[in-house]
Amino acid sequence: MLKAIFYKEWIKLRWYMLLALIVTTAVAGYCLLRADRAIELRGAGHIWEVMVLKDAVFIDLLRFVPLLAGILAALVQFMPEMQRKCLKLTLHLPCPQQRMVFAMLAAGVAMLVACFAVNFAVMTAWLSAVLPAELVTNVLSAAAPWYLAGVAGYLLAAWVCLEPAWKRRVLNLAVAALIVRAYFLAPVPRAYNDFLPWLALYTLALSLLAWISVARFKAGCQD
Amino acid sequence: MTRICKIFLCATLAVLAVWQLPWCYAFLTTKATPNSFVMYSSLLGDFILTRYEEGDGIVRRDVAGRAYSEAETDSLLPMFYMRQLVADERFPDTLFGVPVSPREVQNTSFNFRMRPSAVNAPQTGIYFLLESMPKRVELEMPDDAFRFTHAGIEFITMETNAADAEKSARFTRMLAQKGFAFPPRLVSGNPTTMKDYDNGYLLLDARGRLFHLKQTAGQPYVKALTLPEGVEAEHVFLTEFRDRKALGFLTDAEHRLYVVRADGSVVRTGLPAYDPERDDLTIIGNMFDWTVKIASRGVTHYYALRADDYALLKTYDVPTDSGEIFGLSFTSPYDRYVRPRF
Repeated sequence: MLKAIFYKEWIKLRWYMLLALIVTTAVAGYCLLRADRAIELRGAGHIWEVMVLKDAVFIDLLRFVPLLAGILAALVQFMPEMQRKCLKLTLHLPCPQQRMVFAMLAAGVAMLVACFAVNFAVMTAWLSAVLPAELVTNVLSAAAPWYLAGVAGYLLAAWVCLEPAWKRRVLNLAVAALIVRAYFLAPVPRAYNDFLPWLALYTLALSLLAWISVARFKAGCQD
Repeated sequence: MTRICKIFLCATLAVLAVWQLPWCYAFLTTKATPNSFVMYSSLLGDFILTRYEEGDGIVRRDVAGRAYSEAETDSLLPMFYMRQLVADERFPDTLFGVPVSPREVQNTSFNFRMRPSAVNAPQTGIYFLLESMPKRVELEMPDDAFRFTHAGIEFITMETNAADAEKSARFTRMLAQKGFAFPPRLVSGNPTTMKDYDNGYLLLDARGRLFHLKQTAGQPYVKALTLPEGVEAEHVFLTEFRDRKALGFLTDAEHRLYVVRADGSVVRTGLPAYDPERDDLTIIGNMFDWTVKIASRGVTHYYALRADDYALLKTYDVPTDSGEIFGLSFTSPYDRYVRPRF
């Protein structure tokens, strides 16, 4: 049954994920291209200097892109489910409801992580050719909380989407905005390094929130 | 399961409240507190406090409260207000029996500031070693960068991102010959061309010993500097002041501040305590005295030191309102890391 759920989510998300993959990779590629142009025009030394002395990472444009990708993934996956009341049908499938809801979320998270992994692979491959490992780590460590925000954005948007009452949705949205703020506090690269594993654990735990919305949906909560 | 999820939501809401409410309170209620600018006057033998007072405008007083006019303050702080005194044709020929000239004042005066956020910050581990004896007058950034490894120092040519094995071996050999233990605990330098000359780096090696490294005519210059008996160095700060009398500052595990002189000697200052990880340090120095400001939580200490032997001349403490409100925060003015802290 889980396999079928994963397949169902794949069918729902595959085109969006392809688009997300193209857009996020294109933005990452554009950031790298800009760095490449800067190397062409000013020399590699200039890039190294501003990265070491000014904490430049050259991928600032990418900052909110994973978050947007995560939020849109949740909307694509769960908005039709709620609008067409498909969730009611899904919950009647012969499978434990919790397992099914978390499997749906897991499918979305897995696809997002795969998309983000491609971004990371592209950045690592290009950066490693022109920068030492320390500066590559600088860039990737600056990007890590942004990508984690993408996963958090997906799980929080799922929580908001699955919520049956509009008033509560607005409240959830405000809480979600405050939670997401915690992923964008880095003043410098590597600032999150010690905290990142805990933030990753917390991000995964955010999937618990969606179940509250489903439980309220099951209880028939409405505006 | 639903209960666990609700507990998680409540915990999240509690954390958000403890994080955001104090922030909102601070954001809405923070008011500008009038700060004094404090300088020690060797002519007066006391600190002069310059501050804005409601109704009176900018007032200048000594610690006892005696007021001074602007012109009097200029004369009492001739090294600091040198340009004004020169413009007014009031700059003295001698001070304390020592002939002084505006050029000499310029060359011997310095400002040094070190914030905790600069000390408690992630390090990249990539450094630039400038040529300290450049052929041209102006300094130039090098074509290579370096890193320390457990085996030595490694120079990387930036254009090709490839290691320069020959230069790396030359510098590693010289450091090893001088007894340097890799990798260093601390590396302090100022790799910029916006300075008069280059002092290279002050290093604390793996065993906590102090070394001076620079590049002279393309060759490594390494000098082991002897620390005073029983001193366990904790932080070093390289300086490049115009008078070239100092290599930098050093603090030890007991939070005592030392001056690393250009001849390699390490001399303790009269400051009672300075913790670079918690205190904000400002030194405004001239050829006769240094005014040292150490801003700690709850109090700002001002110290006057004699410039030649760093003996403590006078102290003045000002209690301050740190403005900190109890709550959760993920960032801090004391460091550049993101992590939860109360």
